[in-house]
Amino acid sequence: MSAVSGLIAIGAGIAMFTGFGAGIGLGIASSKASEGVSRNPEASGKIMSTGLIFATLSEVTAIFGFVIAVMLIGKMG
Amino acid sequence: MNSGDVMKPNDLFSINIFGLTFPISDTIVMMWIIMAVVIVLAFIFTRKLKTIPEGKQNVAEIVVETINNLIKSNIGHHWKPFAPYFGSILLFLVFSNTIGFFNIFPSGELLYKWTGIEFFEKISRFEIVPPTRDLNVTATMALMTIFLVLFSGIRYKGVKGWLGSFLKPSPIMLPFHILDYGTRTLSLSLRLFGNILAGFIVVEMAITAPLLVKFTIPVASGFFDLFDAGLQAYIFVFLSSIYISEAIE
Repeated sequence: MSAVSGLIAIGAGIAMFTGFGAGIGLGIASSKASEGVSRNPEASGKIMSTGLIFATLSEVTAIFGFVIAVMLIGKMG
Repeated sequence: MNSGDVMKPNDLFSINIFGLTFPISDTIVMMWIIMAVVIVLAFIFTRKLKTIPEGKQNVAEIVVETINNLIKSNIGHHWKPFAPYFGSILLFLVFSNTIGFFNIFPSGELLYKWTGIEFFEKISRFEIVPPTRDLNVTATMALMTIFLVLFSGIRYKGVKGWLGSFLKPSPIMLPFHILDYGTRTLSLSLRLFGNILAGFIVVEMAITAPLLVKFTIPVASGFFDLFDAGLQAYIFVFLSSIYISEAIE
């Protein structure tokens, strides 16, 4: 293993930090969704489907970091 | 598991047409299988259509009604030309994302060891993988959708109206509207690709893990291959229909 492989591995690890922001964003969205359901229990179906759609939209940033990390690991060695 | 790069597709065999050699990867073979399954199902469910539905025709009508309502609620007035395209994309994506659930079907290597039939040695690296694990498939679908958005914008508004819509809220939004075409393609293709690849990698690592971790294989496979895959197919079609409704206005 040369020095370049070590740097590649460190870079792949740093690329996974994008999951941090995605987790916080999803937590905020889920808390607002639960609050909305508690205020208005009749609309729980609509709130749940809307919340699910926006959760997958905000998950894309974590997926970008994951794809970069997988591509880096493939170039190691 | 192929060592090294998980993003590179496995080459199984090559076919020779007109002197050019095409390497056939397992993605293409899986897409042939899924196409065959969907076409056969389409033929079975639409035989002897009657005005008052009964039996299998009920299922087909429920599927078409659901897709039509989804497209109608997002696009609005001109929903009719787009519903068949989105219906085909939805059916293809639902089948191709969830076919990773049948990974218990033994791969070509194991079949050769058990039975010793010569044919299985040539396809020794074949196992059932979802074809959207390959970036080429998802990038093609995202490109097709963005071209559809482009051409439908030009057709429903005319060239002048389409060019004018770039400056619509205010002229400062011009670079953002131009960038929209690029980032929407990227995010559509990478969302689908990343989710399916993550599920594939997790199940692969769980198979070659110590015994205590092996108990989580059904749970992981069930979550990634059924729930997450179906959700991603629905999100793809939903977002594409919203982009088209924005272009048509």
